Amino acid sequence: MKALTWTGVNQLSVEDVAEPTLLNGHDVIVKVRRTTTCGSDLHLLSGYIPFMRAGDVIGHEFMGEIVEVGPAVRHRAVGDRVVVSSFVACGSCWYCAQELYSLCDNANPNPGITEGLWGQAIGGCLGYSHAVGGYAGSHAEYIRVPYGDGSTFVVPDGVSDDRALFASDAAPTAFTGVDLAGVRPGDTVAVWGAGGVGQLAARISELVGAERVVVIDRLPDRLQQVREVIGAETIDYTSTDVAAELRELTGGRGPDVCIEAVGMEAHSPGPQGVYDQVKQQLRLQTDRPTAVREAIMSCRKGGSVFVLGVFAEMVDKFPLGALMNKSLRFGGAQVHGPRYIPRILEHMAAGALVTEHLATHVMPLDEAPHGYELFKEKQDGCVRAVFTPNG
Amino acid sequence: MATSSLLSRISEVASSAGGALLGRAQSLRLPGVGTASAKDSPEVAARRWRAVTVLTDRIGTGPDLPAPLAAFGDRIEVRTTPAPAGKGTELAARFTAPADATDERVGKLREALRQAKQLIETGEVLRIEPQPEGRRPETPQGRVLEGAAARAPKEGVL
Ligand SMILES: NC(=O)c1ccc[n+]([C@@H]2O[C@H](COP(=O)([O-])OP(=O)(O)OC[C@H]3O[C@@H](n4cnc5c(N)ncnc54)[C@H](O)[C@@H]3O)[C@@H](O)[C@H]2O)c1
Ligand SMILES: [Zn+2]
Ligand SMILES: [Zn+2]
Repeated sequence: MKALTWTGVNQLSVEDVAEPTLLNGHDVIVKVRRTTTCGSDLHLLSGYIPFMRAGDVIGHEFMGEIVEVGPAVRHRAVGDRVVVSSFVACGSCWYCAQELYSLCDNANPNPGITEGLWGQAIGGCLGYSHAVGGYAGSHAEYIRVPYGDGSTFVVPDGVSDDRALFASDAAPTAFTGVDLAGVRPGDTVAVWGAGGVGQLAARISELVGAERVVVIDRLPDRLQQVREVIGAETIDYTSTDVAAELRELTGGRGPDVCIEAVGMEAHSPGPQGVYDQVKQQLRLQTDRPTAVREAIMSCRKGGSVFVLGVFAEMVDKFPLGALMNKSLRFGGAQVHGPRYIPRILEHMAAGALVTEHLATHVMPLDEAPHGYELFKEKQDGCVRAVFTPNG
Repeated sequence: MATSSLLSRISEVASSAGGALLGRAQSLRLPGVGTASAKDSPEVAARRWRAVTVLTDRIGTGPDLPAPLAAFGDRIEVRTTPAPAGKGTELAARFTAPADATDERVGKLREALRQAKQLIETGEVLRIEPQPEGRRPETPQGRVLEGAAARAPKEGVL
């Protein structure tokens, strides 16, 4: 079958590879109908997550049809149209019992890597490097999904493939941030990053009752989507002082909740940007926390700052003083997909959560390297490239 | 010097150093970086109980020991303790003779503890191979990572 492989830093290729087979009793094989680029892939692509081998099949946000089920699968059948959680989870460890699915104790066959990096191993994510399992990814005609009962979700009839696709990773990531940051009715929420994750964090904040939601980015097409589709306000950080703007919007208080959906390759104009980039490229810091810093400095006293953007190791110039003295709550998480996907599908079915506009570029899998180029360089208004491996 | 050319020179340096850095990153133990704590001597490390917490009320011992641990016979001692607050049962093991606790054998013990936990919690040991993969060119970086991935079930701080 055809699959998109990582072949080196900033190199991708479409190759012929073997089809996946059932390896465990709880596995299912999914025939992929839609699979999309995610901001997280950019960190793999550019080599900032150095646990890729040439030949690895990438892709973790997808939906499709179940074509094979293992003997231990109870609740899924061949023919089910499903969306799949990017982080797969065993459903039977203590972390799964707490619904902290991306921390599953059993879903990462390579626990040594992240235990060494972070002191404890996190769970397993499909198509996202050897650090989180080394699973072959979804930019392929077929994919093996372990723990099929708990990691796949049947898509309701009224929800199209194009909408359901983003219930795999972007929407549950956004929901993870909104929920764990503690967004409450009446809150003002600021979201850094107007990619798929940031836009949906803004929308889900509205769905849980936030009164005012502001999204910060510099890309005009994305900010326009935020205003027109999501219905939130926007700030272009290259043309104004974000913290001052947020103070003015909130009677001098600052937002109650600040959600960072940018990640470790954050852009910043001016000398601080150069400083961070140089330090990152010399590996004196591994990650650029530009938006995290701004979120901490902008947040109201006693507010909550939540990091959804992916970071790998160490950062520099972290405003711990502001965090401590302003009595902030601070957290971060990889997506706890299975906790939120059922609710997301309900919102999608009710028309309260639309995502189709994110799929600005839909193309066959053969053109995936070009799709990633558009997505990485944010060319031609690309928000997400979506591939259709089976036509 | 213009910013962009400064950056491109730095990124050249960084990417040529990248291979070596990658190698180091695999075995790096970041939890210790920048902290004040003393590090275990090999003698102390050899006597540490290696432990996993399993979400179950009871783990068999003696003849009922989970198979991956039973394979070590009397070369290991095993201890089980109820975990607080409904977290299950703590399953700990270490080599009876400290001289047995070589890196290689401790690695095998880590893997066995993880497998015992998986068997009890999920009924199976998760498999990953064989799976779809593209061409694997022979590069030093690829070999480093292949080695790291192959060792990963045995690696870590457990
Ligand atoms: N926690 C998780 O489980 C999880 C899941 C999916 C994605 N992510 C992460 O979320 C982040 C966003 O993902 P995405 O798919 O939306 O990516 P994306 O690349 O499409 O979007 C990132 C956006 O951030 C903007 N940006 C860059 N620097 C900024 C700054 N200083 N201030 C404000 N905005 C800035 C960019 O212009 C871009 O629009 C990535 O880091 C990704 O790795 C995390
Ligand atoms: Zn993702
Ligand atoms: Zn689990």
